[in-house]
Amino acid sequence: MQNDILSILNESEGLNAKVFSLVRFKLLASLAALGQDGATYRELKAALDINDGVLFANLNVLKDMGYLTSGKITSEGKELELYTITPEGQDEWKRTRTWLCRFLRCGV
Amino acid sequence: MEENTDLAVPVPPLRSITMEKYQKVIAFFKELGFQFDISRFDDRLIAQKLVCLLELKGIDLGYSCSLYVRGPYSPDLTQDLYAFPAEFAALVSGSRLTPQEKETAGELGRIFGLKPVSLEVGATYGYYTLRQGSDPLEAVRQVKRLKPFYSEAQVALGVSKAKQFLFTPTEKDLEALKEETGIWQRASLTSREYRGE
Repeated sequence: MQNDILSILNESEGLNAKVFSLVRFKLLASLAALGQDGATYRELKAALDINDGVLFANLNVLKDMGYLTSGKITSEGKELELYTITPEGQDEWKRTRTWLCRFLRCGV
Repeated sequence: MEENTDLAVPVPPLRSITMEKYQKVIAFFKELGFQFDISRFDDRLIAQKLVCLLELKGIDLGYSCSLYVRGPYSPDLTQDLYAFPAEFAALVSGSRLTPQEKETAGELGRIFGLKPVSLEVGATYGYYTLRQGSDPLEAVRQVKRLKPFYSEAQVALGVSKAKQFLFTPTEKDLEALKEETGIWQRASLTSREYRGE
């Protein structure tokens, strides 16, 4: 693998540019760590401190891209929306992280 | 030169180390009477918080908990819960708890029961105080920030249970408590004497 900046920049063509926003990074990073377990909408909202409009819109974009799924669950008698990362989402997040790390020269 | 295989140290396969790790957790669940069902969100939540509370109490289960959007959480535990759902559901374990571990499990069950909200609040409060070194007021503030969907009463109850489970009063604490409550105890005794009881 080459380390010159042009090669690194060209490697970004294999990535999904729509993932590159702070909110989407936060969501993918949070949900990737939880795997199949996922997190509820209210947990994401509170922990990431993102307002409803922005959160809902970005979750839907990630869902439309096939990176997240959602479904209803019941907790303590309350119906909640649970968001889970898909294997495609995990792969894309891994690719993005790896590329970002090369771009920012992590560990160099 | 021929290799001397007699000197080789037998290393258990990684798989058996992992098995031991999750089997200890099953032994705790069994002791607590926790019938785990992977399909239930609350069960997965209870499992995470029980393990984090036990780790905070000083029992090394091999599942270190860190702070995630869901509070203190172990992704390694999630992996094992999904990898061995039948074993967790049937509470089948080759691992045995020591008398001290049984006592801790009993205490955990007595104080928290298997209530998801109390366990979640308690584990979060414990994590902030014990792992992040927050003072009690700051820890409560962080719990409320991370779990704003729980009522004041639910937070207060969870925090109180965490204190009961995780913190053993020191000699100094007991002395301070004695001093603080002594005046009321003396007043009560005087009152009883006055009433001729």
